[in-house]
This record gives sequence, structure tokens and C-alpha cells, in this order.
Amino acid sequence: MADEFTPNIVGFLCNWCSYGGADRAGSSKLDIPPSISVVRVMCSSRVDPSLVLNSLLWGADGVLVAGCHPGDCHYKEGNYFTRRRFAQLEKVLESLGLDPERVELAWVSASEGQRYADVVNDFTEKIKSLGPNPLKKTPY
Amino acid sequence: MNKDILVIGGGIAGIQASLLIAESGRKVYLAEKTSMIGGNAIKFEEVFPNMECSTCMLAPKQQELLQNANIELLTLATLKRLDGSPGDFTATIQVKAGYVSPVDCIGCGACYEPCPVSVKNPFEENLNERKAIFVPCAGALPNVPVIDTDNCVRFTKGEDCTACQEACMFEAIDFNQEDKELQLKVGAVVVATGFDEFDVKDLPEYGYGELDCVYTAMEFERLFASNGPTLGELTLRNGETPKKAAIVHCVGRDKVGYCSGICCMYSAKFARFLKHKIDGAEVFALYSDLCVPGKLNERFYRETLGEGVSYIHCGNVKVEKNSKGAKVTYDSAGKSESIDVDMVILAPAVIANPDNVALAEILGIECDSRGFFATETGSLAPVTTSREGIYVAGCAESPKDIAASITQAGAAVNKIISTAERASVPQAVED
Amino acid sequence: MASEEYRIGVYVCECGPNIADAVDIDRVIEEISPLPGVAVVKRHKLFCSGEGKEFLKQDIIDENITHVVVAACSPKDHEATFAGVCKEAGINPYLYQIVNIREGCAWIIKDKEAATKKAISYIRAGVSRVGYHVPLEQLELDSVPDVLVIGGGIAGIEAALSLASPIRKVYLIEKTETLGGTAAKLAGLLPYQGEGPGAIKSKIDAVGENENIEVYLESEVEKALGFFGNFEISIRPHEGDPVELNVGAIVVATGFSNYDPAEDKKWGYGKVDNVFTALDIEEQISSGEIKKSKTAPKKVALIHCVGRDEVGYCSGICCNYLFKIANNLKETFKDANITHFYRDLCVPNKNDEAFFNNLKEKGIEFVRADVSGVSKGKSGIEVAYTDESGEKGSLDVDMVILAPAVKPGEDTERIAEMLDITIDETGFFEEEHLLLGPVNTAVDGVYIVGCAQGPRNIPDTISQSNAAAGAILSRLIPGQKLLPEVKVSEVLESLCTGCQTCVNVCSYGAASYDENKGVSVINEAICRGCGNCVGSCPSGAIRSKHFTETQLHQEVIEALLS
Repeated sequence: MADEFTPNIVGFLCNWCSYGGADRAGSSKLDIPPSISVVRVMCSSRVDPSLVLNSLLWGADGVLVAGCHPGDCHYKEGNYFTRRRFAQLEKVLESLGLDPERVELAWVSASEGQRYADVVNDFTEKIKSLGPNPLKKTPY
Repeated sequence: MNKDILVIGGGIAGIQASLLIAESGRKVYLAEKTSMIGGNAIKFEEVFPNMECSTCMLAPKQQELLQNANIELLTLATLKRLDGSPGDFTATIQVKAGYVSPVDCIGCGACYEPCPVSVKNPFEENLNERKAIFVPCAGALPNVPVIDTDNCVRFTKGEDCTACQEACMFEAIDFNQEDKELQLKVGAVVVATGFDEFDVKDLPEYGYGELDCVYTAMEFERLFASNGPTLGELTLRNGETPKKAAIVHCVGRDKVGYCSGICCMYSAKFARFLKHKIDGAEVFALYSDLCVPGKLNERFYRETLGEGVSYIHCGNVKVEKNSKGAKVTYDSAGKSESIDVDMVILAPAVIANPDNVALAEILGIECDSRGFFATETGSLAPVTTSREGIYVAGCAESPKDIAASITQAGAAVNKIISTAERASVPQAVED
Repeated sequence: MASEEYRIGVYVCECGPNIADAVDIDRVIEEISPLPGVAVVKRHKLFCSGEGKEFLKQDIIDENITHVVVAACSPKDHEATFAGVCKEAGINPYLYQIVNIREGCAWIIKDKEAATKKAISYIRAGVSRVGYHVPLEQLELDSVPDVLVIGGGIAGIEAALSLASPIRKVYLIEKTETLGGTAAKLAGLLPYQGEGPGAIKSKIDAVGENENIEVYLESEVEKALGFFGNFEISIRPHEGDPVELNVGAIVVATGFSNYDPAEDKKWGYGKVDNVFTALDIEEQISSGEIKKSKTAPKKVALIHCVGRDEVGYCSGICCNYLFKIANNLKETFKDANITHFYRDLCVPNKNDEAFFNNLKEKGIEFVRADVSGVSKGKSGIEVAYTDESGEKGSLDVDMVILAPAVKPGEDTERIAEMLDITIDETGFFEEEHLLLGPVNTAVDGVYIVGCAQGPRNIPDTISQSNAAAGAILSRLIPGQKLLPEVKVSEVLESLCTGCQTCVNVCSYGAASYDENKGVSVINEAICRGCGNCVGSCPSGAIRSKHFTETQLHQEVIEALLS
């Protein structure tokens, strides 16, 4: 392949912390690769595993879910539930023949613009090294 | 009886009071001395005892405040006079010109770059520089820069510099803006002017200013902040990463005559920052009395202890220069001891905002001997000042943590609304 | 999917040069215009300006727009601004979507081609998403302004006095036969806290005189159901039938209990004569009994931190009240030798340390040591200790006063269960947020104040009671409707299997189980819209309004199409 593989990453960001971190990265004019497409949700706990699975089944090369740091959840403890659900999701991914590395859960606070940039950059690099999603096909 | 309320000070206590009053349907004027809201709490990366991200906690409140139609935020604003009587005050507020229209400015920051002036940034404890047109830090709210007329060459030297104005695509910069005076009719006032840090230069034995590796607590907070001068990298003034740090508690406690009640906790937080950020860092906490009151604070201390922080009960702490950075000597259990470290963090006493005394005079209320606003302790009313209709909240009253400041803000709002409700007449019961 | 009746208006903000320089807006318009349902795509220099908002409003009206997409800055900046414009233009604000092409695109992607592509992708997602938006309406609920206060100690009294008015009734429920709680038993307060027992008594009297406070003594709350603005309460009074009340908010002020020093025999409590708790002594001082004792104490030991290790926290008040007691004893018995055994002085309030220093001047001794035992000695009581240098020592005294840790009140668990509020690791009621909501709980409308929330002194207790009252008065306004969150969760009954996972994960008690129907129910008045229940539901039976599966899927699909 002549072209360099540009991954397609869906990033679910919680409204209060991680979306704030992404905004901070934006207002600080940091470089963020266009690989990520941000979908805003109110809390990372809203991201049910089926959203992640569907994203992968429809061809996403990676899925990033970012929420408040543990203990910081705007809704008390939503992110703890997220963490638990993702631990379980790993097994499901394996059973589907998908590398669990394609799904990443990260904690990014509203002041961590640089951290957001690092998370997205690092994850993009990781997905690049994993190559395209083997399930990639057109949605629907 | 005027229902509108004046809140002085846009820190967390003032923000909380404003939001609650606005929720009740009253109009709030929030007068903040600087160009941004959030006070001291917004400077912290994380807060004890749950190590929560301060920005994540406070930004939603700041946003809510800026978008609340009942709240009129006045930045660069100070109270000059208060006339009238409780329920019917007239407050004269001086609003300094910022030279940037908050209506037209969209906060893109295009104006900073071309500004030819660079000066120390006091918001960052002078650890970095900013331009003469600036917001104090990334993420400052409201996101509207102001011109620092003490440093802008246009104002200091009369030069015809229009660099920022030319860079602004929204015609938001107006050099002809003038200071103005507002007359506000309000029924009550909440004073939430926050605190200051004891000036550690007054105690030369701690070596601050003499030794590069000695930092104040507030400097350390910014050094650790991800939106701070080093973007959260713990780097000493000499460019090195600290490996061995001493945190000195109770700096200035004897001098001010009280325990500030929060320093043990934030010092434990610092110890953890160091432990987490720097592999193999050694941290010594030099304390005189461990003050960790409340149901969850001791757990925080124990966890910090569990991370390998050395707590040393001692007195007579002195900091001297040596080849490693600093030699810290102290007396512990009757013996004189010393440690060599490459970073010293001083936890200075929380002192009253120096503006309080003048403000008390304007408001016609009393300060205590230390410059905090005095309350009616005799009648067990912790937010009631010596004058009816004027209430105090947060560190303006005494040193306290965030929870206690938020609590007092609610208490002040209670005093205002319940005074009004008690005077109201019940509506005739229908049916 | 967007159909023909849809007239979606897409408005692309240039944000001056901020977006216009980084994104090729002409190309955006070219690519978005042909999308199904899109009626117009327009650009403006600055939509958030007065002129921009007016343009937007007029265009929505002129073009008969049904759904609005604004591609501009972060929703944190202007989502609410444009929702307001939609409302003014007669469009339900939930038929609108803001797309962040500034912070999320123009400012972070330096290559114009890539940034333009990204902006197009994001706007396509917004257009697809908005096609699945449905109008949502703000619920308006009636409310009861009256308040229930549980506990008639100083915290409850202060809350009741702060809330009661001609337009608001307070029901004050006290388990015992008197008001005042622990505070009423004290010999007095620290001189800088208040005017001794008089300050407490005058507050108790004020409750009696207040016609808007209804006091129920020797009564307990048996049942509380409902939500902020509308709670149904059942009270079991001392005698007679249960009383049913309607209130809008509940203040829990049930106080504390003390660590029982008899639990550890090293304190000698209950076994060695003249070993008292601080509260025992307070009562002896109040009643004057201490002066009547035949032999005046000559040597007194005051022991701090009793039970501190067992409970795992510093109660924060014991140092100060022991100072007060020491001061009182020194005034009464001028020749007495008084010695404090302490670990760390906890004097966090601005006037504490001066009072402490004054005690030292009066000759009161302070020994920093761990007390290892209180036992019957040859001449009175022997206090054995280890000082900070590790030296063991002992002191013979004729009176010992213990400062036991402050513990949660005895009824804490029962009340927590009844109100559906939580208890933290220390056993006290848990606040909604330790720092930002110290008197709120996860159940909106239920507040915790005083030592029910954690150990604290009387001034801080009063602050908390005032704060809870402030929170209630600012929101529960007679005659004013309550406006709960709009973007809440809803259960699709046909899909719900009744597994109740959602009931277990909800932090706010908004989800409950309907036994009759065998399905979960979300109370829209309580739900805060986090969507945790949606994420937890194994059968996809819960829908998060405005963040539905379909709406989010549209965003994902567009992201993957590009």
C-alpha cells in the first residue's frame, strides 16, 4: 500500500471532564491528529458496550472512551461503572476476534489539554501499529 | 426593600453565593477585582482529600455563572462607597477599563502574540511571563483578555503601538475605553474576598528568595498545574527535576498566632504529587502538629504516609544553601538534625486579604485583629457581620477549606432570603 | 432519517479568521448543501454576535427551517446561546445541534485540507443526528414549600429557625422529650464561640415562640417517599395516630454518638473511680455538682484522642473542648494541677491558638504522649504514657477526663435506609459532593447538617444548618414551579425484562421497579441525565433523551464514512 494508513477512531468523551480537556487542547492550539472523531456524551457511563462494538463492527479502527478521573465523576460514580463495563468488554472483543487494544479507556480532566493531546496521539500511533480493523466494511 | 444583591469577590465562595441567589430569582452583581473568576481554588490542579481535579469541579460552576441571566459579572471592579441602609444600599463600584469589549471579544487569543511587551505573570506566581494584553492562564473565565496599563507601552510610554488592535478581527479592542463608576441599588451585600499567603520573606531562616530551590505553596500549586507555567512538569528553577524534597509546615504560624487549619492537608497533597510524578522521589514533611480534622482527612494523611512520605515532628526549622541545593536543619525529640534536599516547599499561614481593612471601612463593618472580617460570634451567627444586611463567606472570615467556604456561602444566602421571607405576608389560602 | 418535510438549516460560523482561515467554508457549503433534508447552508462572520444571532433567528423564520445545525465553537461556549435563538425563532431548542468545528477542528488540525474534511465530517454527523432529534418539553412541577427537620439538637433548631416564615412551615421532629441535643447539656461554649449556655437556650426558646415551627417531641419519622418539592412523610408521634405530612425538602440533623471508652479497658472507664468522659464533666459543671464534691480535684489528667485509632479519624473538636474544660476547672479549683496528654494539637480555627496559649500561661501542662493505660494507682489514678522520645512515664492524678471520638448517631443506618441516602466509610451520612455539596445528598431535596454529616463544632454546625436552609430557600420558592432536567432517561417498557440493573446503578435513586408491571420506571423529576442506566441495561430498554442510541449512532456512522 502506497498511502500511509490513517486510522479512523471514534472518541466518546464525557461532557464535564474529557470534553473540557479536548476544548482546552483546542484553545491551546495543540496538534491533534484528524484520526479522532469526537462524540460527546454526558457521562462515560452512558457509553454502553454496544456503542463500542457497533463502532468496531462498522469499521472503526479504534474506539477511545474518556471520562473524568476516578473519584471525579460529575455524577458521583459513573466512571467506576464505565471502568467495570470495559473490563468485561475486553473478553467480548477477544471472542469476536478483535484485539482489545483497539478499545481504550482514558481519564482526562478538564484542565488536561496536553494530556488529551497525548492520549489521542498515543492511541493513534498504537492503532497505526495494529493496522486497519479486520472487520472494516461500510456501515449498514 | 431592594431584592438585588451585591457579591464582592469571584472566588468559590462568591461564585457559590451568586449562583444560589440568582437561582432564587434575585439579580446579583458580582464584583471581582481581577479579570477572571475562580479565585485561588481554580489555581489548584487537584484538591484534597479526594484528589479531584479542581478545574473539572469548578468550570461547570463558572460556566453556569457566566450564562446566568440573573448574574451581572463586573470584572476589574472594586467597591468605592456604600450608602444607604440595610435593604436599601447604594453601592458605588469602580470598574477599571480593560480595553477589550467582552461583547465583541470571542476569546481567540490572536491579540497576545503580536504584543511586544513581556512581563512576569503574577497569576503564575511570576514563574512565567505574559504579554501586556493577556488572560492570566489558559482556560481563564471569562475568556476575555485585558490590557495591563502598567506595562503596555501605549500607556506607559505613550507609544502608538496598535499591535493587538490590528490582530483582533472583531474590533474588540478599544484604547479609548474609560474607567467608569456604577451606582447599584442593592438590598444586601455578601463579602467573599478570600485570603492571601503569609509573606515568607519575612522569615529569612527559610531561605526564600535566597535559595532558588525554595518554593511557596502557591508556587508549587502552579508548578504542578497542567495549565501552569511548566504544563505540570515538576521542574526546578535550575531546570532539574527534584529528587528529594522537604515540605515545611506551619511557616509563619507563630507570627500570625493561629493554625490555618488547611496546610497539613495540602502539604500531604504536595507530598503525593511528588511521589506520583517523580520516580523514587524522597519526601520529608516537617510538621509541628498534625491538623487533620474531620471524618476523611486522617485517611488522606495515612494514605500519604503509606506512600513512603517521611513525617518528622520537629521545630526550629532552618534552610541553608549547600551544594545539593539546601540543607534543612531542625530540632526533633530534643536533638538537632538535618537533611540535604534539592527542593523545599514552604506551607505559609493563610492570612487575611490586605484589602479587607479598607473594604471594612467602606462597608461599615468590623475586622478582627488579624484583618479577617469579624462575625457576631456572641449570637452564634458565623456569617453575620457587625452590620445588618452585610454577610461574609469563605476565607474572608477565617482560613478554611473549600467545603467550609461553600457552606458559608450557602449560609450567607440563607440569611439574605430568610430575612426577606420573614418579612413577607402569607398569601390568603384559597378554598 | 431526514425526510422531505424536514428543512434543516445549517449555519457555519467563520468565527472571524478562527474558523474561516483554517477551514475552507465554501467547500463545506458545497458538500453539505446536497445532503437530504438540508434546506440551506449559510455562513456568517460571527453567529454569537448580536447581528449574527439576529441573522440566525430571521433566517430560521424566513426559510421555514424545522431543524437547526450550528457549526461553530465548543458547546461550552455557545450551545445555550443558539438554543435561545432557536426558541426565539419558534423552534423547540432540542431540534438543534451545535457542532464544534473550532476547538475540535480548526484550532487543532493545522493542515487546511484535513481540517476542512474533518469539519465536513462533523457537520454531516450533526445533520444526520438532528434528523433524529425530537422536540422535548420542560416539565413543570408544583411544589410544597414546607420543610421537615429530623433532629431537635442545635443543628435542627438552627435549620428550623432559618427556614420558618409566614410563607413556609417547618416540622421539627425530635426523638427525645426535649430540644437542644448535646449542645444543651454543655457547660458553655468557648468564649469566642458564643455566650455560654444562654446562646443555646435562647435558640430553644425561639423555636417555642415561632408559630411557623411545629415541634413533635418523642416522635420519629417512619416513612418518606417522593422527591424534591414533593415528599410524603409519615410520623409516629409519642401518642396517637401517625401523622401524615407533605413537605418539599428534608433536613437531617440527627447528631452524633460518642466512642464508648469502656470498649477498651486501658481507659479505666467504668472501672476506676473518677474517670469521666468530657460530657460527664460538662454535665457536672452545668449542674454545679462538681463544686459540691467533697474533695476538690488536686491533680487532673485530660486525655485527648480516645478512640481515634478505632474510628480512624480526628474528630477535630476534642482539643478545644478539653481546653474549655481545663480552663473551667482551673477557675474553679485554682490550686489544681492540670495536665493534658495529647498527640497533635488540632486547633484549626483562627481564635483557637490564642486560647490555648492562654492556658499555658495559666500553668496548665501539656505532654505530647501516647497514653497506654489508666489504672488504679497507689495514691489515686495512675496514667501511664510513652512520650515522643519513646520514654515511658506515669503520672498520679485524682481525676481523669477522657475525650472520646465523635461517632455517627445511633439512628444513622435506619434513617439512611428510609430516605434512600448513603453512608460513607466512616459511618456518617454521605454528602453529594464533599467539597461542592457538603450539605446535599445524592437524593435531591434531602440535606444533612451538623454532626450527622461528620464531627464538627457548634459554629460550623450552625453554618451547615444555615447552608442547607440557603439551598432550600433559593430553590423551593412558594408558588414557583420546579423545572427538572429535560435530557433524562426513559424506560421502553416493551423491552424491559425487569432485571433492575438500572435500579442498582443509579446514584440518585431515580430508577425504581414497578412490581405490578414488572418493569423499571425512571422518575423524570429525579433523573439527572447521566445515562449510566442506559449503559448498564442489558436489553437496550432505556433511552437517554437527546443522547439516544440512534442519535449517537448517526455520529459514529458519519465519522466512519469519511
